[in-house]
Amino acid sequence: MSNFSVGFREEAHIRILDLKGELDAHTVSELEAALQKCREDKNHHIIVNGAHLQYISSAGLGVFMAYIEEMREAGGDIKIAGLQANVFNIFDLLGFPLLFDIVEAEEEAIRKFDADRNEKNES
Amino acid sequence: MKEALSPGRPPVANHFANRILQSRQGYIDAALRNRGQRVAFIVAALICFFLSVAFNVVEWLSGAPWHAAIDFAYQTVVISGFVLAWFLLSYFLKRRPVSPLKTLWTTLLLALLSAAVIRLMIGITTAENVEGDAALLGFEYDTGVPLTFATVVKMHAITSLRALLAFYLLLRFQDLVLFKRTKQSQRNWYLMLISMGVFSLLAILKDPAEDPGIVQFVGVTLVVILMLLNAFRVSWIVFLSFRAKAAGVGFSILLILLLFASLAPNGILPAHFMYIRHASYPLDQFTLAALTFGLLYCVTSFLFLIFHLPTTGDFRRKAGEITAMYSLTNLVNKAFDPDKLHLAITKTPVDTGTAQMAWLAIADERSGSLRPQVVATWKTPTEDIETMVDMAALYEELAARREPVVLDEGHADRRIRKKPGDPIGTILMTPLITRDRLLGGLFVAKDVVQGFEEDDVESISVYAAQAAIALDNARLFEEQLERERLSRELDIAREVQQRLLPHDLPKMEGLAVAASSIPAYEVGGDYYDFLELDEARLAFIVADVSGKGTSAAFYMAELQGIFRSTTRMAPSPTDFLEQANLALSSTLERHVFVSVIYGVIDVRKGELTLARAGHCPAILISREGAGRLIRPQGLGLGLDRGGRFRDVLEEEHIPLQPGDTVTVYTDGVVESRNSEGTEYGYERLLEAVKTHRKKEAAALHEALLADLHDYLGRTEYDDDMTLVVLKWDGTQNHTKRSAT
Repeated sequence: MSNFSVGFREEAHIRILDLKGELDAHTVSELEAALQKCREDKNHHIIVNGAHLQYISSAGLGVFMAYIEEMREAGGDIKIAGLQANVFNIFDLLGFPLLFDIVEAEEEAIRKFDADRNEKNES
Repeated sequence: MKEALSPGRPPVANHFANRILQSRQGYIDAALRNRGQRVAFIVAALICFFLSVAFNVVEWLSGAPWHAAIDFAYQTVVISGFVLAWFLLSYFLKRRPVSPLKTLWTTLLLALLSAAVIRLMIGITTAENVEGDAALLGFEYDTGVPLTFATVVKMHAITSLRALLAFYLLLRFQDLVLFKRTKQSQRNWYLMLISMGVFSLLAILKDPAEDPGIVQFVGVTLVVILMLLNAFRVSWIVFLSFRAKAAGVGFSILLILLLFASLAPNGILPAHFMYIRHASYPLDQFTLAALTFGLLYCVTSFLFLIFHLPTTGDFRRKAGEITAMYSLTNLVNKAFDPDKLHLAITKTPVDTGTAQMAWLAIADERSGSLRPQVVATWKTPTEDIETMVDMAALYEELAARREPVVLDEGHADRRIRKKPGDPIGTILMTPLITRDRLLGGLFVAKDVVQGFEEDDVESISVYAAQAAIALDNARLFEEQLERERLSRELDIAREVQQRLLPHDLPKMEGLAVAASSIPAYEVGGDYYDFLELDEARLAFIVADVSGKGTSAAFYMAELQGIFRSTTRMAPSPTDFLEQANLALSSTLERHVFVSVIYGVIDVRKGELTLARAGHCPAILISREGAGRLIRPQGLGLGLDRGGRFRDVLEEEHIPLQPGDTVTVYTDGVVESRNSEGTEYGYERLLEAVKTHRKKEAAALHEALLADLHDYLGRTEYDDDMTLVVLKWDGTQNHTKRSAT
């Protein structure tokens, strides 16, 4: 019985994944499937909302690593928002904030995506 | 004896039959088993025979019949002789049981032989040309006294021949009648023998010329009823092969003709009973009854043989199927080679003649698809199956219905491809189900339409159930083997991995070290190691490969190689970690990374240099209890494969005070959860280190593990767990120097 789930939301052109529960080696395939679906849908602008994420293991972190490069190459990004303190600490220990946009609120991530797009349009 | 009673039969007769039955087998058989007694029996029988001959010789010489009393004695002697002969013959025949067919032809042969001999003897008599009808036979018409010595000899020879033939017939046919015997049938048989005997004895001292009385009439009726009862015990016929049945028909018809011809008054042995009747009237009656029974039995056998001839094939096939099914059950216990088992399962329906071709499809569980794999075929090449039928569609139906399916009209079914000269007319597909799981399907086919009857479907489904169990067992056995093999492999892997961890802890002046690593599974992704760079400096590493189990273990091994080879060349923590990141980046999968904490302790200077690649912070506690987490910035190995790793990596230099303790560990320690799901956490670990800070390194290490176990309430872990404690006491030498 998995106590992890991924919810999908659309905000303009951005796909928002709501993570809930504990993301570990047993549940990691669900997040993988979700990101796989984004890739198939050619949706490269992704916000992972971790407000209800209670735990993440190293295997869970690995999934972000597996997809980030591809998303960025396609002009998109994976931004992580709303992490709880203990979960953020796990991201932080590994240095994820140096590699990922990890922000406090989902709106901030959306704003950042918009800003990126405006920048691109201007250039 | 009560259970022996049966309605409609006089209890006395029942009782008598059972007694005879038991006593006969008991006393006489036991007696005959003794060689001396056997000889005595033979001698006694011969004496009886010669006595009776002598009696008749005297009668012939005197030319007058004996007095009734002496005649009675004579009859007693003759009958005793033949009773003895009966038991002797019974004993010898019982020791050599023969097949039903042999019974028929030996009886036929003996009957033929005796008829020939008797015919010859009667012929000789006729040649002597004695006057008168009775005289023609050689007896005085009124008194029945033999007229010549030849008559005496013939009389006894013919009697013996006929009686022995009758005995042989009864004793041999007894095995046929009692084939698959029941208590009831056994009793009927012995009742018949006894009533025949009693009926015959009634004739003692009776004149054959007299009209039979009411007693004799009742006796005859009883004997005939019992004969009829026994004559229908012919179940041995069912088990004969077609050829044996055909031969049986031939033998029985010849025997019928021969017996009928010899028993008929105007047959091939004219008036031969007269000789027997003159020798012994009861014996004549018995012989007549026995041979009549033989005739009757041959008639019923003949009829049943004829009726069973056409169904022989079906019966043999059914029997063959049953045998095959049993042989499969045997195979199950032996053959665990899947290919052999598949072939054995596929062959049987064809070999037993139920079908003309067969194939076995097994669902590949690993691929998870419904599409089955044809694993064995018989009487059709494997490549042809797919061209002949749409296996996927057929299997889909089978999987949906989960019961035997007959496709009667092969030509009309679009899943069976129409092709001129296509050999498939009917397909019977049977699911192989055990423990509610569909393992596959057994497909049998015939070239004619509507080729399978209900009983075929039934027997194939019973067979398929057996086959499914066999397959399941073989699979379980294979899985068990595989599990054992894997477990052995993992044991080896664990040993190898344990050898990658340091055997001996470093011993440096002023520095005490304690370390342990426990994988969650057989092998894990945690690693710790030490290397003495020189007399004063010790490099230590604690690392955690993301994920668990085998893949993590391989990267751990790689990291060990990097540590052992690179440390001396790049002793500074940042240099080492950069080298390690470069080396690992080429091999790590994208989603795998390694967190590492790497430090160098200079025991002379009392200095700790530490860098952290995404790992849990080190805990530094002073003797006084001041503690902090050392957490310089750094990315995990493999997270960035370019220059950013180096750019963000920081190194921390920390002067040590004597009594300072450095604790490094993997996340398995802080992330371990108790039964309520709460993590052990950094705070608790920090507190525990503080509490036990004054202990020696080994004791402190032990105390920390004990604290963790207390918290968890168990000693097994969900994650790999590594804990290293380094305690620097400083040397007097060094403290002095640092003081100056």
